[in-house]
Amino acid sequence: MAPFNLLYYRPDTVDQALDLFRILSKEQHHPAFYGGGTEILTRVRVQDARFDAVIDLKAIPEVLVHREYQGSAEFGAGLRLTHVANRNLWPLLTATADRVADHTVRSQITLGGNLLSALPYREAILPFLMSDSAEAKVATIGGMRTHRVRDRYDQTFKLKPGDFLVSLVVDGHEIQGLAFKSRKMTRIDWIDYPLVTIALIRRRNGGIRAAFSGWAGFPFVSSRVDKILSNGRRSPSDRAKDAVEHMPMPALSDTHGSRAYREFVTQYTLAGMLEELEEET
Amino acid sequence: MRSLTRPEEVTLTINNEPREVIIYPGETLLYTLRGDALGLTGAKPGCENGDCGACTVLIDNIPTKSCLMLTVEVEDHSITTVEGLKHAPIQEAFLSQSAFQCGYCTSGFLMVGHALSLQGAADQGRLVEWLRSNICRCTSYQEICDAVQSVVRSEVE
Amino acid sequence: MTIIGTSVRRKEASSKVTGRARYTNDMNVPGTWHALFVPARQAHAKIVGIHTADARKVAGVQTILTAGDLAPLLTGDVTEDRPPLAKDKVRYWGEPVALIVARDESAAQKAASLIKVRYRPLAVVNSIQDALKANAPLVHDNIGSYTVATPPASPRKHSNIADEANMIKGDPDRFLKKCSVRVKVQVSLPQIDHAAIEPRIAKAEILPDGRVLIQASTQSPFEVQKQVAKYFKLNPGQIIVQVPLVGGAFGGKAAIQLELLAYLASRAVGGHTVKLVNTREADMATSPVGMGMEAEVELGATQDGMIQAAQMRFYMDIGAYTDSAPRIARAIAAQCTGPYNIEHLHTDVFSVYTNHTYTTAFRGFGHMPMTFAVERAIDELAKALDQDPLRLREQNALAPGHLTPTKARLTRSNLGHLPLCIEQMRRVIRWNQAAVEPIDAHRVRATGVAAFWKTSSSPPNAISGAITLMNSDGSVNLNIGAVEFGPATKTTAAQILAEQLRIPIDQVFVHEDVNTAVDPEHWKTVASLSTYMVGRAVMDAADDMVRQLKSIAAAILRCSPDDLDYGGEKIFVRDDPTIALRYQDLALGYKYPEGDSIGGQIMGRGRFMIRHLNLLDQQTGHGRPGPAWTVGVQAVEVEYHRITHQYRILKAATVLDAGQVINPKAAAGQVMGGMNMGLGIASREAVHYDAQGQFLSNQFRSYRVMRVGEQAEQYLVEFVETPQVDSPFGARPLGEHGVLAIGAALANALSRAANIPLNVLPLTPEVIWRAKGGKAYGAL
Repeated sequence: MAPFNLLYYRPDTVDQALDLFRILSKEQHHPAFYGGGTEILTRVRVQDARFDAVIDLKAIPEVLVHREYQGSAEFGAGLRLTHVANRNLWPLLTATADRVADHTVRSQITLGGNLLSALPYREAILPFLMSDSAEAKVATIGGMRTHRVRDRYDQTFKLKPGDFLVSLVVDGHEIQGLAFKSRKMTRIDWIDYPLVTIALIRRRNGGIRAAFSGWAGFPFVSSRVDKILSNGRRSPSDRAKDAVEHMPMPALSDTHGSRAYREFVTQYTLAGMLEELEEET
Repeated sequence: MRSLTRPEEVTLTINNEPREVIIYPGETLLYTLRGDALGLTGAKPGCENGDCGACTVLIDNIPTKSCLMLTVEVEDHSITTVEGLKHAPIQEAFLSQSAFQCGYCTSGFLMVGHALSLQGAADQGRLVEWLRSNICRCTSYQEICDAVQSVVRSEVE
Repeated sequence: MTIIGTSVRRKEASSKVTGRARYTNDMNVPGTWHALFVPARQAHAKIVGIHTADARKVAGVQTILTAGDLAPLLTGDVTEDRPPLAKDKVRYWGEPVALIVARDESAAQKAASLIKVRYRPLAVVNSIQDALKANAPLVHDNIGSYTVATPPASPRKHSNIADEANMIKGDPDRFLKKCSVRVKVQVSLPQIDHAAIEPRIAKAEILPDGRVLIQASTQSPFEVQKQVAKYFKLNPGQIIVQVPLVGGAFGGKAAIQLELLAYLASRAVGGHTVKLVNTREADMATSPVGMGMEAEVELGATQDGMIQAAQMRFYMDIGAYTDSAPRIARAIAAQCTGPYNIEHLHTDVFSVYTNHTYTTAFRGFGHMPMTFAVERAIDELAKALDQDPLRLREQNALAPGHLTPTKARLTRSNLGHLPLCIEQMRRVIRWNQAAVEPIDAHRVRATGVAAFWKTSSSPPNAISGAITLMNSDGSVNLNIGAVEFGPATKTTAAQILAEQLRIPIDQVFVHEDVNTAVDPEHWKTVASLSTYMVGRAVMDAADDMVRQLKSIAAAILRCSPDDLDYGGEKIFVRDDPTIALRYQDLALGYKYPEGDSIGGQIMGRGRFMIRHLNLLDQQTGHGRPGPAWTVGVQAVEVEYHRITHQYRILKAATVLDAGQVINPKAAAGQVMGGMNMGLGIASREAVHYDAQGQFLSNQFRSYRVMRVGEQAEQYLVEFVETPQVDSPFGARPLGEHGVLAIGAALANALSRAANIPLNVLPLTPEVIWRAKGGKAYGAL
C-alpha cells in the first residue's frame, strides 16, 4: 500500500492524547485513536475509513498496565493479545482472546482494538460481558471515568467521541477458580471468523452465564439464556435446544453458514460445553 | 511526544544496522523495507491485509506482518528481515526439506520459523499455531513443518 | 546415469531462502508510473456514463482511459469476446471500466475514488441455471459477431452458450439400456481461485524506436508477444517480453489480461514505463478464476462390474468471457471416461456464460472437476455392485490396445500403468476394501479412492527450444523459454543437459528469467509439459554440442569423429582415453601451441515440436488430443464425526506412473503440494456471489485456503515407473496431477463415512449436514 495522508501522534500521557483529539477535531481533521493498527490499516487500504490523523496510545503507561492489584486484575487497552494470553492473569480471557485472527496478528492486535473493533466479532469482550465486576476506565476531558462494562454496552461498548478506553479491571474472585469453557466454531478453518464463539462460566452459586459472538452482528449476553442454561435439572442438550430457541435475536445467515446451520452448531456446541463444565464442577 | 506529520528522516535498526530513511507518517513498514532506499524486497506483498504472511518480519524477534504496521511505530525497535538471516539453521532446514517451490511465501515462513527457533523449545501445538499465520499455495505444509520442527528441536538439544 | 533420478537442489534454492530471489514487483525502475483500473461495482449493467473530470484534476494523474478512448478491440484466446476495458456494458463485478495512469500509486488511488460510473442495472445471470433458462438475459447480445481466432469453438447464437463440444463413441443409447446396473450422479462445483501468493503484475514501456518492453508475471511470455502484436498491429519482433521468477501460477497466469492494459497505459502516456499490479482483491475478482461446474454422469455396467456405456453432460460456469473454455471443454470431452475403457459413450460439454468473473485454465485444465464427477459415479457404481472400489477401477482400467474416447490408440508407451499403481496403493494405505471402521460412539474412519488420467491438451504445433553456450571453463549456460514458477522446471532442464553432456550439475547454469528476445520459443509453461518438450529440446541441443565438440576434436586429434567418445568433461579416443581434450580447451575454439586457432564457441541449438496431434473432429470429437496419458490413483483416509459432521484428514496418498522420476524430491513435492491444494479445494474453497452477482470472496478472509494444521496428517507419495519412450529418459508429466482425483477421493471417503452420496463441493461440515437432511441437533 502506498503511503496515505496521515498525521501521526504518539502522546506520552492521557491528557496529551485527549487534547490532541480535541485540537485535531477543531482543525477540521478526522482523528482516530490507534492501537495495534491492524484494523485501521486494512480499512484505509480499501477506503473504508474516514480519518486523516491517528493518536497512537501505545506510549501511555496507563494504557499498558497489566497487573494484579488489590485483589483485582487490570488490563491496559494497549496490551497486545499475545501478551494477555502469555501472562494469563485471567484464563477465560486468554481462552477467548487467543482465538482471534492468527498468532502473528495477535501479537499486533491490542485488547482495546479488539473490544472496540468495527467488525462484528470482538471475542475478547465476552469475558467482560459475563462479569459482574468488570469496569472500564475511560479517559475523558473531565477526567478518568470508571464504568461498569455492562452498563456501557449496547451492541458495542459506548464511548463518546474524543474519549478512549484506558484499561479494564476485574475482581479477583471472578477470575480465580471460576470454571469456564470457551469455544470458537467456524465454517471449517481454524483461522476464520466465527460461526459462533461461545464462552460459559459457572458461578459459585451454580448458575451459568453465557456470552456469544458470531451469532449476530455483535457479541451479546442474555439473562433469559443464562436462566435456561442454569436450570441444572434439565439435560444439557435440552437446555441447549431451549437456549437456541430463546436467543434474543435470530442467527445470521452469511457465507460462513446459514441461519439453520448456525443454530445446529450452536446447539451441539453449547450442549457439549455444558456437559464438560458440569462434569468438572 | 513523538509525532510525524510530514515526511522525515528517521533511523531504523534493521538487521542490526542503523539505517537512515525518509518515511511518510502514513507509510507501512512493508513499503519502507521494499522501497528504493532500503531495497529489502525479501518481504513480499501478498495481500496487504494481514492474511497471507508473505510480508512477515521480526520486530524484537516477534513475527510481525509488516503490511499492518506503520514504520513510525518501529523506530525504536529491532527489525529483522530475511536478508538479515545469515546462515540461520532455518535456511538450511528449508533447503534440505525442500520446503518451498515458487518461493514467494518463503521469506515469511522463514521468519516465523526463525522466531520459533530463537524461542528454544516449542511443542507441536505451538509450532502449528505460529505457522498458521502464513499461507503457502505450492507445498503440502508437511515440508515446512518438518523444516521448522528440525530447527526447533535442535535448539532444545 | 547419475544425475537423472537424484534429488538435486533446485537451481534458485539459495536465492529463495535468502530473500534474494527476485519477482516482477521486486525490480522497479525509479520513475515508473502507476496504472490502476477502476473495477465495475455491478455484475451486469449498461454503462450510462463515466465521469472522469474530477479524477483528471488530481495532481500527478497523467491520463485516464475508458473504452471510448480506444479503437474497438476484442480479445480472447479462442473466441475474441473480451474488451480490455468494459465497453457499453459490464459483464462481471470487478471488470475493469477505466484505467488511470499517474505518477505514483497514491495519486492513482485518489483519482480512482473520484471516478463516477453511472450504470443501468440489467438482470444478472447468476448461475448456470439462470443462464440456460428460456428467455434468459444474455451476457453477450451478439455472440454471432465474434471472431473465433483459434478454432474450434461453437458459440450458439442468441444464447448464453459460448461453446458446445460433443463426443460420441459406439452406441451409448442402446448399450446403456442393456446394462443391468446403472448409476447416475449429479455434481456441483463452485468457481475457485488460483490464489497464487504473488498477485499478477505487468509493466510496459515503449521505446522511441518502437520496441515494446513488457515485464510480467506470466506463464505465456511468447503468447503475450504474439497477442500484443496482433491486437495493436505491431510486429512480434518489436515486442520483448521478460519474465523473472513467478510466485505461483496454477494456470491463472496463462491468461493474458494485465499485459494488454499495461501496454495501453504506456501507449497513452507516450511510452513511459508503467506498472500495473493487482491488489489481492483484484487478483481474485477481476483477473480470471477457475470454472465452476454442474455435471451429470450416468454409467452402465454388467453385474460383474464391467462398465459398458456412459452418458455425461458437463456445464461449465465460465463466467463473462470465453478465454480458454472451449479448449478446456475439449480436454474434458477427450478424457471424460477417466482411465477406464468404456466402449459406448456420449458426452456433451457446454461452456456457459454467466455474470461471474471470467475463467481460465486451472491446474489440471478441466480434468479436476471432470474427474470429480466421474470418480463419484464410479464409487457409486462400486456401492451399487457391492464391489471393492479399487478392484472395480482395476478391472475397467484402460490398457494398451484400447482406444480413448477420441479413438486415439493407446500403447504401453503413451499410457501409464494404472493396475500397477492400484496394486501399490493397496499396500501404501493398507487397503481395507473401503470398510467404514467405528472409532467410538460417534466417530468413524473411512477411506476413499479415486483414479485419474490426463494428457496435455496442447495445440498440435506446440514448440520448444534450447540454446546452450559453453563457457571458457567448459561449463554450460542453458537458455530455455519455460518460466520458473515453482515446479523446478529450470532445474529439471539443467539435469537433463548435465546428464547428456556427462558433466556435473554444478557445471550447468540455467538462465532464471525468460526473455523472448533471446530465449527460444516455448509454447507456454503449462500442461506439465515442460519436462517433455523442453527436455527433448535440451537433449537436441546437447547432441548438437557433442557433435561440435567431436568435430573439432577429430581435427585436432587427427581421427574420425566416430572414433571419439566423451565424459568427465573431456572428449577422448574411445580405444585410448588418454588421448583426450578437455571441454575447456575447446569451449571457445582451440588454440594450437603455435598460436593457430580453429573452431569457435561451442553452442548448442535444440528444437522440439509436438507431433501426431490433431484438432478433434467437430461432430464426433475424434482425434488425438495429446502425446501421452499420465495415470495414477489417490486415496484419502478421514476420521468423521457422525453428529457434528466435522472431519479430519488422516492420510492422503498418491501412486502415480512417473515413467522415470528425474528428481525424486521435487517430484514428490509437486504431488504432495497438489494433494494439499486439491484437498483445500474440495473441503473449503469457493467463490461466493451474492444475489446481485457481487463477488464476495476477494480476500483470504473470505476465500479460505488450507493453512498449517489443516493439511492431511500424512502425505504419502509413491511412483511406478513405466517409461514413455519418446520422452527424456522416459519421464511422464506429473506437475498438475496431485490435484486431479484427491478431491474425489475425499468425497468418496466422506460419502462412505456419512453413508450418503456427497456430490457438492466444497465439503464443509454444513454441506454434509445439509446432505444428511439439515435437521436441528437433537432431532436426529
